[in-house]
Amino acid sequence: MKKMISMFLSLVLIVGLFAGCSSDQKTSGSSKKKADLKIWSFTDELKKPIKTFEEKNGVTVELTIVPIADYPTKLKPVLESGVGAPDVFTGEIAFLKQWVDAGYWENLSKKPYNADEISDKYVPYVYALGKDKDGNVRALSWQTTPGGIYYKRSLAKEVLGTDDPAQVGEMMGSMDKVFEVAEKMKEKGYSMFPDEGSIRWFAQGDNPQPWVNEKNELQLTEEKIAYMDYSKQLREKGYTALAPEWSPSWFEAMDKPVKVKENGKEKETEVFSYVLPTWGLHSVLKTNVKDLVGDWAVTSGPSPYFWGGTWLGVYNKSENKELAYKFVKMMTQDDEFLTSWSKETGDVLSYLPVTDAIKDDFSDKFLGGQNNYQFFLDQSSKITPGIVTKYDQQLDTLYGNAVQQYVTGKKSKDAAIKEFYQKAQNAYPDLKVPKK
Amino acid sequence: MKNLNRYGYVFIAPFWIIFLVFSIYPVLLTFYYSFTNYSGSGEAQVVGLANYKRLLTDTYFVEAFFNTWKIWGVNFALQIGLALILAMIFSDMRMKLKGLAFFRSIFYLPNLITISSVALLFGILLDWQHGSLNMMLMKLGIISDPINWLNEPTTAQLSVSLILTWMWFGHSFIVVMAGVSGISKDYYEAALIDGANRWQTFSKITIPLLKPILLYIMITSLIGGLQLFDLPMLLTDGIGSPDGSLNTMVLYLYNQAFKYNNYGYAAAVAYGLFVITLIFSAFIFKGMYGKERKQPRQV
Repeated sequence: MKKMISMFLSLVLIVGLFAGCSSDQKTSGSSKKKADLKIWSFTDELKKPIKTFEEKNGVTVELTIVPIADYPTKLKPVLESGVGAPDVFTGEIAFLKQWVDAGYWENLSKKPYNADEISDKYVPYVYALGKDKDGNVRALSWQTTPGGIYYKRSLAKEVLGTDDPAQVGEMMGSMDKVFEVAEKMKEKGYSMFPDEGSIRWFAQGDNPQPWVNEKNELQLTEEKIAYMDYSKQLREKGYTALAPEWSPSWFEAMDKPVKVKENGKEKETEVFSYVLPTWGLHSVLKTNVKDLVGDWAVTSGPSPYFWGGTWLGVYNKSENKELAYKFVKMMTQDDEFLTSWSKETGDVLSYLPVTDAIKDDFSDKFLGGQNNYQFFLDQSSKITPGIVTKYDQQLDTLYGNAVQQYVTGKKSKDAAIKEFYQKAQNAYPDLKVPKK
Repeated sequence: MKNLNRYGYVFIAPFWIIFLVFSIYPVLLTFYYSFTNYSGSGEAQVVGLANYKRLLTDTYFVEAFFNTWKIWGVNFALQIGLALILAMIFSDMRMKLKGLAFFRSIFYLPNLITISSVALLFGILLDWQHGSLNMMLMKLGIISDPINWLNEPTTAQLSVSLILTWMWFGHSFIVVMAGVSGISKDYYEAALIDGANRWQTFSKITIPLLKPILLYIMITSLIGGLQLFDLPMLLTDGIGSPDGSLNTMVLYLYNQAFKYNNYGYAAAVAYGLFVITLIFSAFIFKGMYGKERKQPRQV
């Protein structure tokens, strides 16, 4: 009997092992026939467009999905060697800049693509991000991902006297104004933000500069230093619910009051607003809010920002570039497809001919009927193009770390900045870092 | 008679081919990269000993070295202590405990959970404002303010140590029990008759006879411990927060290679780690066996 059980268990383990292997790479399309086009991405977002593409053109497409954490490490060797490489692959903002410069993507500014001709049809910052250091277009995107501040209408009405997005946005037009609103919220027992990390998107203030300039120098602007103090004040004045992003309480506070414990006291508070981009509405708020559907609205903060985004391009060693670009074209320039895609998913597009045609008749029930589409398009046009560098993801993390040290009182401001400089230098030895 | 010896080589060839391609080649390639400024793509330029020079003066690597030791040390002391105490209880002839097989499985279970699930689980348990641990401690009146476990260097390191202990004491316990059951009952019976107490039986019979087993546990645990990576990576932001306290050597290596694209330097870090592991394994080996070898001469 014991033998039977152990045999059964080892069988289960072995089967589990193989199941694990096979579910790693999901493919669509028929596996018997060799696919005409191979696409790699890190989400299943492209599944539907691929189906449309297959039907339209009578071809088979193989989609390989690699989870985002492994995506760059798995894709890079394939692109380097060209063995089993995709014809089209997507890139996320976190490593986009590195990839456009690495030259894996075909130069779309050349013939026969001539992508430069359509440059004015895109949201400027989105188009600019797909360019390499020589100004050639390497990747295009169908979406734009500007952000805003999502807030609860009922609290706005009670505390601010209005729930109109334009007026509320006006009240939060600068960091100091945000603090005024926060004070009012606190008086009624509400919390302005879930935690002080929320305002990091406004760190650049009204002086957007790249982390690293053309001379390869690390730039920490006055505005970014001032942001340290804003963060600390948010914490010290008790304007937050001490719920860090993506923590259980962060999600909980979207829908109901949460308990906050500090200095031996416990209080119950409701969070007024969340700083999130376009996709935050569909994949964060809508999936977590049940009771307060319709009580939300979105408006602008102290400065425009964007968060995330997916670009795609043609692999430069692909043997099927024509078909590959056809797919890129459908995803980024096809009026008919993009119109139906946008209406179905609510994805805010970066292709202006389509957005101009459809932006007026959008309204979202979750946001109490607000036309968020129009709002986000306005925001995206205000974003300064060309300030994203390949260092951003890591330097943001390192700086966020330094700010946290200062906020929690473990380090003085100067010590925190000094450590940030040291860590930046350690990560990127070639950078010119201010000696302080 | 035909010489069939050469067929032996055919049979061991698959292992050697796989070993050469997937183990030896990467090891040698990494060694080459450690002398270059390879950035993960494009050409690698040879820079001589620059990476190793940097390694010797890198305060973050030194920090990572001590962090790894602190986290592993606390974990190992607790893990082996717990395993020995349990082994003592379960092997005690006077107590005659039943259900060894049952407890063995229960103790071993945490080891079967994937590390990412463990990290997620403890991330929620240790949550600052809403974690179960803080809620429990506050209900019991032990603390008045919630402790932000993963935001203070000391508690963060301690948390990782304790999670590792929880995961691995069952494994050590099984190995120790296997060692204990290999010890002849005669010794214990003799000790019983001579009136030895539990501690004497344990320290004079069990421990000396378990030495090879303990050495095995220690070396495997040390090698695993020096490679500590997944929990610190998953519990906080992946770069060793808070205040660099969870920055372990392999985490540092990973970040240098895959986040900052300093593949060349990361390769040097890997070889630094290799040398460190080698030195400490040799030390333990010597410490445990060195004395024994002298004994026969004294007799």
